[in-house]
Amino acid sequence: MTAEVDAGMARSTGASTPIPDTAARRRRWKRLRATALVLATQVAILIAFLVFWGHMTSRNSAAAFMFGSPSAIGGFLLQMARDGSLWRDLYVTGSETLLGFFVGNLVGTVIGLSLWYSRFVSRVVEPFVIAIGSIPIIALAPIIIIWFGTGLISKVAMSTLSVVIVALVTSYKGALGVDPDQINLMRTLGASKFQVFRKLVVPASLTDIFAGLKLTVGFALIGAIVGEFMSSSEGLGHAIFKAGSLYIIPKVFAALVATIALALILTFIVGKIERLLMPWRRL
Amino acid sequence: MTDVGNAKTAGAASAVAGGAVVPPLVVEHVSKGYEVNGEIVPVIGDLSLTLREGEIVSIVGPSGCGKTTLLNTLCGLLSPDSGRIRWHGREVTGQPQNVGYMLQKDLLLPWRTALDNAMLGLEIRGVAAAAEAEDRSRAMLDQLGLHGFADHYPSTLSGGMRQRVALARTLVHEPDVLLLDEPFAALDFQSKLLIENDTASLVRQGRRSLLLITHDIEEAVSLADRVIVLSKRPTRIKAVYDIALGAERTDMIGLRQSPEFSHYVRRIWADLDVVLQ
Ligand SMILES: Nc1ncnc2c1ncn2[C@@H]1O[C@H](COP(=O)(O)OP(=O)(O)OP(=O)(O)O)[C@@H](O)[C@H]1O
Ligand SMILES: [Mg+2]
Repeated sequence: MTAEVDAGMARSTGASTPIPDTAARRRRWKRLRATALVLATQVAILIAFLVFWGHMTSRNSAAAFMFGSPSAIGGFLLQMARDGSLWRDLYVTGSETLLGFFVGNLVGTVIGLSLWYSRFVSRVVEPFVIAIGSIPIIALAPIIIIWFGTGLISKVAMSTLSVVIVALVTSYKGALGVDPDQINLMRTLGASKFQVFRKLVVPASLTDIFAGLKLTVGFALIGAIVGEFMSSSEGLGHAIFKAGSLYIIPKVFAALVATIALALILTFIVGKIERLLMPWRRL
Repeated sequence: MTDVGNAKTAGAASAVAGGAVVPPLVVEHVSKGYEVNGEIVPVIGDLSLTLREGEIVSIVGPSGCGKTTLLNTLCGLLSPDSGRIRWHGREVTGQPQNVGYMLQKDLLLPWRTALDNAMLGLEIRGVAAAAEAEDRSRAMLDQLGLHGFADHYPSTLSGGMRQRVALARTLVHEPDVLLLDEPFAALDFQSKLLIENDTASLVRQGRRSLLLITHDIEEAVSLADRVIVLSKRPTRIKAVYDIALGAERTDMIGLRQSPEFSHYVRRIWADLDVVLQ
């Protein structure tokens, strides 16, 4: 019955025959070139900015004091790397951020997705979520330090709190966004509510969950650093705070550069995991 | 009437009660409305129909007359306001067993390959061991002309191929009854003819029943044993045509050029025109 159709379709789409090697290589080369161009432009912008900054601060010592100069910042970075404080601070703030990021997203996502289960519960919970979400985390910092002390736990708590509501809202939005026709189809295939949840709602929400993950990298970091501002003996927030109160502005910038680097690395890792978990989106 | 046990066995044996064959689907005086701003807007007025075993019935009607609503009511996604729906002689709460349901949207899950999409129903029901489910799904994809595409993600398939995967997902657990809502409406003419042809022969081979909702009158006439024309809301049956073109319709193009074919098409057009005015 479909034998002729078979052959016709397979031939006309051409997807079943491998693409010639040269064409594949040419396409890969083209993609590589596009990426290289983007990178080169980014580096050029950065260099232009640094040159401009260096130029403006080199002739004016007041400006150099107020804004630091790229070379002074580089010098501080080098010094911090040599005496090991850079690595120690990165490690401390990095682990606070990661823990807060992990716990906050886990709790937020689990709650957010499970709210899909019950319209009743989600309606009950909604105003509370909005209320809690509107609390500025900084306002909680003094209480959190009283509750959890001045060590790691209080920073992780700050970081978690900065993340959890965002994670909850984005994953709940994702779960609500599932096509009702798709749910109907699952039901006609005989799926239980749990099967609809596991086989449809969770994977369909992954895109939104990962959008939340990328967003919350920054929030987790802010939480950790605000926590360090309040009271701490180490970490990037501590370094920024200390250098700032001593008016060593290039050192403030040096610690900021390290903070930015940490955020970039974490975002990059999240992106990698996203691509690993959602291979169908690479196509 | 004797109790026919569960709907599944009843379907397989096409349950016999008092000597008469029980049709897979009987709809009696069903009505359905939606509540909009606190008011009930009637959609389906009073509708009765019977789908017999091995029969293909097409439903045509003006846009918005409630065809999709009817289909969703039949397969238990909505409940009727009044009237009775009997599957193999029994009223079912929730979803009826062994019914295949397919829409214009292919509704493939983008994170599953063609094969995994086709397997979805078998996986959910847990009817078959994983290996057997995979074999059956692969065979069904092959049969529908998708040999070699089992491991492709939907985003890399053409519209026609995706609809074929959706059809494989619908057919692979061998439903007695297929409920299709404009399944081929989004396809180009050529793919449409091919996939219609495949659907009809798979249905006829397996002695399944098919309820096909469509806007395409030629599609309705060329595939169906019976065409039901619906009126505007609140929807009733306006006309029924028994299509006497023979069950063996191998030459779809030739069929469409026959005078009998055009005769049916013209009369159904006329019915719908009156409705539209
Ligand atoms: N969930 C809903 N709530 C309120 N009204 C609805 C709902 N779904 C459909 N309707 C209304 O019911 C009527 C019938 O809709 P339905 O989708 O069943 O029509 P249809 O015959 O399938 O149309 P089409 O041919 O365009 O697919 C329409 O007028 C629509 O506005
Ligand atoms: Mg419709």
